[in-house]
Amino acid sequence: MVRIWTIARTELLRMLRDRSNIFFVFVFPLLLVVLIGAQFAGSVDARLGVVGPQDDATLDALLERLEAADGVAPVRMADEAALRDEVERGLMSGGILVPDGLDAALLGLDDVEVTFIGRPDATATSLRTLVAAELADETLAIDAVALLDALEPRSPAERDELLAVAALVGGQAPGITVAAQTLGSDELAEEFAGLGQFDLGASTQLFLFTFLTALTGGVALIQTREYGVARRMVATPTPVRVIVAGITGGRLLIALMQALYIVIATVLLFRVDWGDPLAATVVILSFCAVAAAAGLVLGAVFSNDSQASGAGVGLGIGLAALGGSMIPLELFPEGMRAVARLTPHAWANDAMAQIVRRDAGLVEVLPNVGVLVGMALALGVLGTWRLRAVLAR
Amino acid sequence: MGQVAQQVLRATGLRKAFGALQAVDEVSLTIAPGETYGLLGPNGAGKTTSISMIAGLLKPDAGTIEVDGRTMTPTATAAKAAVGLVPQDLAIYPDLSARENLRFFGRLYGLPKAELTRRLDEVLSVIGLTDRADDRAGEFSGGMKRRLNIGVGMLHGPKLLILDEPTVGVDPQSRNAILDSVEELATEGLAVLYTTHYMEEAERLCDRIAIVDQGRIVAEGTRRELIATIGEQDVVRLTVAGDAAAAAAACERLPAISSADAEDDVVVCLVDGAAAALPQLLAEVAASGASVSGVEVREPDLEDVFLHLTGKALRD
Repeated sequence: MVRIWTIARTELLRMLRDRSNIFFVFVFPLLLVVLIGAQFAGSVDARLGVVGPQDDATLDALLERLEAADGVAPVRMADEAALRDEVERGLMSGGILVPDGLDAALLGLDDVEVTFIGRPDATATSLRTLVAAELADETLAIDAVALLDALEPRSPAERDELLAVAALVGGQAPGITVAAQTLGSDELAEEFAGLGQFDLGASTQLFLFTFLTALTGGVALIQTREYGVARRMVATPTPVRVIVAGITGGRLLIALMQALYIVIATVLLFRVDWGDPLAATVVILSFCAVAAAAGLVLGAVFSNDSQASGAGVGLGIGLAALGGSMIPLELFPEGMRAVARLTPHAWANDAMAQIVRRDAGLVEVLPNVGVLVGMALALGVLGTWRLRAVLAR
Repeated sequence: MGQVAQQVLRATGLRKAFGALQAVDEVSLTIAPGETYGLLGPNGAGKTTSISMIAGLLKPDAGTIEVDGRTMTPTATAAKAAVGLVPQDLAIYPDLSARENLRFFGRLYGLPKAELTRRLDEVLSVIGLTDRADDRAGEFSGGMKRRLNIGVGMLHGPKLLILDEPTVGVDPQSRNAILDSVEELATEGLAVLYTTHYMEEAERLCDRIAIVDQGRIVAEGTRRELIATIGEQDVVRLTVAGDAAAAAAACERLPAISSADAEDDVVVCLVDGAAAALPQLLAEVAASGASVSGVEVREPDLEDVFLHLTGKALRD
């Protein structure tokens, strides 16, 4: 065990000594978590598309009110089709369709219907409430003016009296109703409902970077061979199986270090919720085993570190993208979701989705864990077989 | 029987082929404690393959190896513990310090913690790296790296130290330091197997030398014994202008000349009685159409022995 630990620890130490890893292992993952979190955050103003008449005093006044409100940015749009398209694609958080002659209709004490269009998410709901409230405030004043004009007061005192009456009846006066229309599927909204700002990014980036770091760590294994150190290890009284176990342990240690770092950093910095600790730990451990075994295969198959480095980065990013670590699997078409199941990332991301979003425990994610362990074993056997052959040359 | 038991290394009838290439062919050698044994031969002669088998890195196709009385195979951990290998190419981690490199291999050799700590300081002192022990090996000069490479091989106190061309690419000062270290190790009772293609290193260090060519040991003995294979002959080197090969062929026809070989523009002859034969020699060269621009007469060395035995120079 001392010899296995010696080799494994040295592999980890060498990885930490590489200055380029400071950015790619410690800084970059957190930057991506922040970036993804920003897409889910309320810190950016929600864009509200507005389709309606030009030079309408009431609409202009409403837009002024909305611009002054916190968290919303009204944007004039050309027509209803463009508004619906942008809301559906998520480019707008919501939109309103204002009929022509809004100002005139209100002054004529006619009923008006403004249509709110939004996706079935919390942001759209908040926007609709805000729009309705601002419209109500704006129309109340117009209603009062319209009533005053209709009653033609004869003196300032009578006008004041009528204003008081208008205020009393304002609630019953004709005004604007906001009719809501929802675009997109409710299932998708429910899937991500209740997620913290950084929760999704933390787990997906953990899998991306753990795998990537383990694969690029395979380059260090090639260097160990290129430096002649691997051959020299074989010349010591350390059996080849112990050397292989140490090298494999080194890959696992590196993967675990990367995963543990992301978990601790995201909990401390972003208060990320990782769900049930036991289930999350088992999923992450089994994923680390797959990543370590993949790194072993890469390091044993390639004989040139620049080739392995390129292949490692390509595979690491490609498999992560295919496995839902860049775009959630739920947004994949059905066919691509089936293909994604070939990647360990998809099984791990799916397991973490169950744990974090649906409060699943270890039992519920056992099938995913089983697949990950199977992948780790298959790759591990291939990698150790290949490495033994390389060392015995 | 007592002499047999004293040998640290006993290799018998070693053979190894890579495809059609017979890299090592019937190599046998023994080394006693405190003895430095040299394998002298050009690149590709089979020296590294031979020591790879002796170190347990390669399995021989035929033959047996015993180190310190234990049979050596790629899985023989006890036999491997008795061997310290210093490979020709540096085999250290450049991103670890000298001390970390030594500690890493010390643990793989199974040294207990207290002994490892003691040996680390001793070895760092022997290889002259005590002051740089905690600097990364990648920052060292070529000579310092070579010394660290040797330090790793001797850390665990082996019975047999194998040094494969340890001075290749090293500056003269470091080279001298390495040769001094090897001499000192031998005086401490260590058996040393030293491969080189530098004749002067073999002459300086080795008690016995095997001349290796094309996988075979073509001659073995002390320096004096090897040179005696040439006889009481002188070496005459003629620098010629013209066809050196034709000049060599012409020289070889003289009865006093036992061998004549052309190397570039030089004809090297082994001559019985150089003083008497020299006028005839010059006449034969002139008759062959070449002209002589320089003459050197000296006693033979291992280079000449190698040339005499193989018909080619060590550097080929």
